[in-house]
Amino acid sequence: MILEFLSLNGHGLYVWLSFSIALISCSFIYLRTKKTLKKYEREYLEELQSLNFLEKKEILKKSKIANQIYATSSKAN
Amino acid sequence: MFKFLSTTTIYLFIEKIIRFINSIFFIILAVGLTFALVFSPPDYIQGESVRIMYIHVPSAWIGLASFSLITLLSVLNYIFKIKNFFLINKSIAPIGLLFTCLAIVTGSLWGQPTWGTWWAWDARLISMFVLMVFYIFYILSYKTIKSESLSIKLSSLIAIVGSINLPIIKYSVDWWNTLHQPASIKFTGSSSIHASMMTPLLLMLLVLLLYSAMIFLMKFKTEIIRIKRKNIKRL
Repeated sequence: MILEFLSLNGHGLYVWLSFSIALISCSFIYLRTKKTLKKYEREYLEELQSLNFLEKKEILKKSKIANQIYATSSKAN
Repeated sequence: MFKFLSTTTIYLFIEKIIRFINSIFFIILAVGLTFALVFSPPDYIQGESVRIMYIHVPSAWIGLASFSLITLLSVLNYIFKIKNFFLINKSIAPIGLLFTCLAIVTGSLWGQPTWGTWWAWDARLISMFVLMVFYIFYILSYKTIKSESLSIKLSSLIAIVGSINLPIIKYSVDWWNTLHQPASIKFTGSSSIHASMMTPLLLMLLVLLLYSAMIFLMKFKTEIIRIKRKNIKRL
C-alpha cells in the first residue's frame, strides 16, 4: 500500500520531485534570509555596544527600532 | 500623509506578525499537503500527475502577483517619492523570482508525463521565462548599482517595462494555440475545476502565501536594520 502511494500510478517520480524541489528551495531561502537577518541584528548591536554610555542612552531614547533590537537581544541572552 | 507607512511603525508590527505566522504555518502546511497528496482524487485524463498542480499553479500566481505589486509600487514611488516602496519591492523581488522559477521547473516536470516533453517553445512557457529574466534584471539593478537614486530609477523602469509581459502571460493561452491548457479557474465567471481539487489548491495557495509573507517580513526587517545601522552615528 505504501509502495502504491509512493509510485502514484507511475507518476511518483514527477510528483515527489516537484514537491521536493519546492520544499528544498523554500527551506534554503528561509534559512538564508534568517541568517542574514540575524547577522544584521548582531552587527547593529555590536555597533551600539561600541558607543559610550551617553551616546547609547541617547540612541535608545530616540530610536524605537534600536530599543526593540536591544530588548530582543537582551531577552535572547 | 502615509504616516502609517513609516519604517518605525511597520518595524514594530513585523515581529508580532512573524510570530503569528510561525504559530499557524506548520498546521496549515500539514493540512494542505494531506489534501494535495492523499485526499485529492486523480484527474480522469492526467491521472496522479495532476497533484503537481498544487505546487505549480500557486507558484505561478505568486510570481505574477509579486511582479504586479512591484510595478504598482514603482509607479507610486515615481509619483509620491516614498522610499519605503523601494524597500518593499526589494523584499518582494526574490520571492517573486523563487516562485517564478518553481512554476517553470514544476511545469516542466508536469509537462513530461502530460505532453511527453520537458519544454516546448510555447507562448505561455516563453512569457513565463521572460518574466523570470525581468526578475533577474530587477534584482541585479539594485544589487550592482551603488547610487541609490539611479538604482531606484533603473529598477522602476525595468518593472514598468516588464509589466507589459503580464497580460501576455495571462492571455497567451487564449491568443495563441498552445500546448498549455487554458485557465480552469476564473475570477469572473464559473471555474471548470471540481471542489475536491479546488480545496487543496486553495490550501496550498494559503501555505505559499504565508511562507511568502514570512520571507517578505524578514527581508523587510533586514532592510530597515541596514538603513538604521548606516544612520546610527547621525542619531
